Amino acid sequence: MEKLNVTVNGKFMSVDVDPELCLADFLRDRLFLTGTKIGCGKGECGACTVIMDGKAVTSCIIPVMRAEGSVIETIEGVSDGDKLHPIQEEFINKGAIQCGFCTPGMIMSSKALLDRNNDPTADEVKEALGGNICRCTGYVKIEEAVMSAAERMRNGETSK
Amino acid sequence: MTYVGKSIPRNDGFDKATGLGIFTQDVALPNMLFGKVLRSPYAHAKVISIDTSAAEALPGVEAVCTFENTTNKPFNTSATMITTNPGAEPVRDQRVFTGEPLYIGDEIAAVAAVTEKIAEDAVKLIKVEYEVLPAVFDPLEAMKPEAPDVQPEFGCKEHKNVCGEIVEFGIGDIGKGFEEAEVIVEADIELPRVKQAQMETHGAVASYKANGTLEVYSPTQTPHPTKMILAYALDMPESKIHVQNPPYVGGGFGVRIGLSGKAEILAAVLSMKALKPVKIQYSREEDFLASDTRHGGYLHCRLGAKKDGTFVALDTTAWLNTGAYATFGVELLGVCGACGTAGTYRVPNMHYKGFPIYTHQQTAGAFRGFGTPQGTAVVEAAVDKMAQKLGMDLLELRKMNTTKPDDKNWFPFPVGSVAINECIDKAAEGIGWKEKRGKAQSGNIRRGVGIACGTHVSNAAPFCVDYDAVYLRIEQDGSLHIGTGIPEIGPGSTTALIQVACDLLGVPFDTAVMKFGDTAAAPFDIGSHATRTLYAVSQVIRDAAEKIRKDIFEYAADFMGVPADKLDMSEGIIFGEGKEYPLSRLAYEAHLRGKQFFAAECKVPPNSLPWYAQAAEVEVDMELGIVKVIKIVSAHDVGKVVNPRLCEGQIEGGVLQGVGYAVREEMTYVDGKGFYNKGFHKYMLPTADDRPEIVPIMIESNDPAGVMGIKGIGEVGLCATVPAVLSAVEDATGVRFDAVPLVPGRVIDGFKKAGLIK
Ligand code: FES
Ligand code: FES
Repeated sequence: MEKLNVTVNGKFMSVDVDPELCLADFLRDRLFLTGTKIGCGKGECGACTVIMDGKAVTSCIIPVMRAEGSVIETIEGVSDGDKLHPIQEEFINKGAIQCGFCTPGMIMSSKALLDRNNDPTADEVKEALGGNICRCTGYVKIEEAVMSAAERMRNGETSK
Repeated sequence: MTYVGKSIPRNDGFDKATGLGIFTQDVALPNMLFGKVLRSPYAHAKVISIDTSAAEALPGVEAVCTFENTTNKPFNTSATMITTNPGAEPVRDQRVFTGEPLYIGDEIAAVAAVTEKIAEDAVKLIKVEYEVLPAVFDPLEAMKPEAPDVQPEFGCKEHKNVCGEIVEFGIGDIGKGFEEAEVIVEADIELPRVKQAQMETHGAVASYKANGTLEVYSPTQTPHPTKMILAYALDMPESKIHVQNPPYVGGGFGVRIGLSGKAEILAAVLSMKALKPVKIQYSREEDFLASDTRHGGYLHCRLGAKKDGTFVALDTTAWLNTGAYATFGVELLGVCGACGTAGTYRVPNMHYKGFPIYTHQQTAGAFRGFGTPQGTAVVEAAVDKMAQKLGMDLLELRKMNTTKPDDKNWFPFPVGSVAINECIDKAAEGIGWKEKRGKAQSGNIRRGVGIACGTHVSNAAPFCVDYDAVYLRIEQDGSLHIGTGIPEIGPGSTTALIQVACDLLGVPFDTAVMKFGDTAAAPFDIGSHATRTLYAVSQVIRDAAEKIRKDIFEYAADFMGVPADKLDMSEGIIFGEGKEYPLSRLAYEAHLRGKQFFAAECKVPPNSLPWYAQAAEVEVDMELGIVKVIKIVSAHDVGKVVNPRLCEGQIEGGVLQGVGYAVREEMTYVDGKGFYNKGFHKYMLPTADDRPEIVPIMIESNDPAGVMGIKGIGEVGLCATVPAVLSAVEDATGVRFDAVPLVPGRVIDGFKKAGLIK
């Protein structure tokens, strides 16, 4: 066991962890933040995407100790109580969700993009989502949702 | 209609967008163990000896199950096991574990332990000695007399390694048809296995208790049939088994019609041994290599026409690789013929023969389209050839021969509404057919457009057992509760069904809920497959809604002083003869007098044909052999649009799977080693950055058999993509490929053969 100091969804914690764990397992099995999904466990599908120090990362291939001192945001931290983030709302309203298994990862990749660039081009959106596989939607409505969330964020909307 | 026709946001959106929705992967029970499976490294072998002592001795291991200590009752993991029509026998050719593995990945044993890691380590400690036996991988090879037998007990008598029986049917007289024909063309196609690659891998949590009850959480598309399969295979009363989705399912596309892989039964036998809950989550590699794929194989089609273009004879044969076990082999070959070859055109003389062929490869089963994409690919190739031979326009030849509303074609139910020609026109117009088709090109980058069309079904009746039961109840505050066993695997059917139910009943949407994916929520439901969920469940909801409305109006008559037959209801307000009474109040008044309004119904749906045409535009790099699909216009006769945005989503998602099938995806078999595609890095799924523009078009033809005119949409987005892309590539390059996917190697080879490049 090793001591991990990490901020998850705005809460700082200092916890004993098995250093063999990957970040995704720590989040899912230790903190019960099961919104982060596992589609491959190999860094190939994006289902486990979380934001770590402002960057979208695939948490299934990140050793948990790499999170030492970092700030992590998971899908559970995106909304503010019952107030959804514009990205979440646009995913729902635009029909960007079907089975929903890729959705948390998609939203985190989108958020990492829009947090640093709220006026992306269509290509920048495609590129930001290039590592996230969705087998249900054909991506059309996901890209639409990100674009309209970007517009709302440009107008100053966030969940927090 | 207040709700039908509106893009109401799906009601599970909140759960799914916040990460709060629970999938099987997220289920954890007190005392839960983790299961891991030992799989055969050989395509065909006999286990000479198995020694589990070291595994059992490993601390933390709580159960080791093998073919020696576990039931070996034969069953079938697919829903066909319990949906085969009366008189026909399902092929029960699988066991939980086997001592004679028939493909690389076949289950030999499994371990349950307190952690996943210990279970994995224990699996490695099981010592197995195998005698390797001869194996056969190609379906045509497997049919040769000298080929090794795959399933001798279940093979058909006349043909080597054919599973169950040959599927053969037709109408008219095929011999006479070809005699009458003035022009005859032939087409062949070779299709790969492709994988559903649903984002949530197979898995289950099973909890067996010593009192003889079994609780199962899984992403099955068919909770009730899964309960029946488990009860049969494990010799348990169905009443003591509860199967539920938790409630969300990370995609299906057919891969879990019946068991999810084999996860439910593997977890169940381990749980029965350990008397603790057991969770099995397939790795992505296991999901790829040890669960059903789409059927690949070979198809041949002969089409005869008069000089004016009238089709007079159509004869198709399919040899598809069903792999080591039957699952859906026989049924799928039936749909390939019925929907893929027999449905689209009015041909007086039609014949079809389908061979589901056993090989020593992983099993092929159900994948969106279920045989229709395969049949459509070869028939549409023949139609294109016919047009060329006759010197006719591709669109005109199709439109003159398509099934018309009053035709009696092969289907054992009325053809219903038919807007296929409108689909063809809209798809062609959307792709810019007039300007773009048939433009001779030179240079390295060439563009072309192509088209294909077809049909499918809106459920499996009357070909298989197919019915649903629902019950509706009005809560004491007037809100609607719908109980069903049907799952929500992603399309949003449970939102669309509430829209339909609220309009049929006349109650508000906001307070209505639907309970789904649970054998305890309602009586039998066949499940979510065959493009049926919205179509079939709306049928039974309609009947239940009529009953409950009658009950409500009869009860309201006294309160309102208006005869029941003069009453109607809208948005939860009962009205008639100028008076109004809120349902919320009536429901509470009824409650105070010991009554709740509820109704249950059970019904076999009719069937309706969802017509479609798809036009593709491609760009081909002649030097590098890269085929890029630029745009797909997919026009669908959906009968009636219930929720436009959800309906578009079905089309868009289907189209991209079709594009993957046409140009990227392929399971590649390496003899002796098995499939090469162990993960997403070796199986090329389309991603956001390389998808084409997708234009969904929905046409409302108001089908007479569908509730409010509804037909199915779920599967048909991908059924015509392969032939549409092949047609477009032919337009661009002059080369008609008869195999997919059009990966650069295959494309370059084709160009070389055609003499386009050296
Ligand atoms: S689960 Fe981490 S990338 Fe697939
Ligand atoms: S919504 Fe199912 S994988 Fe994206």
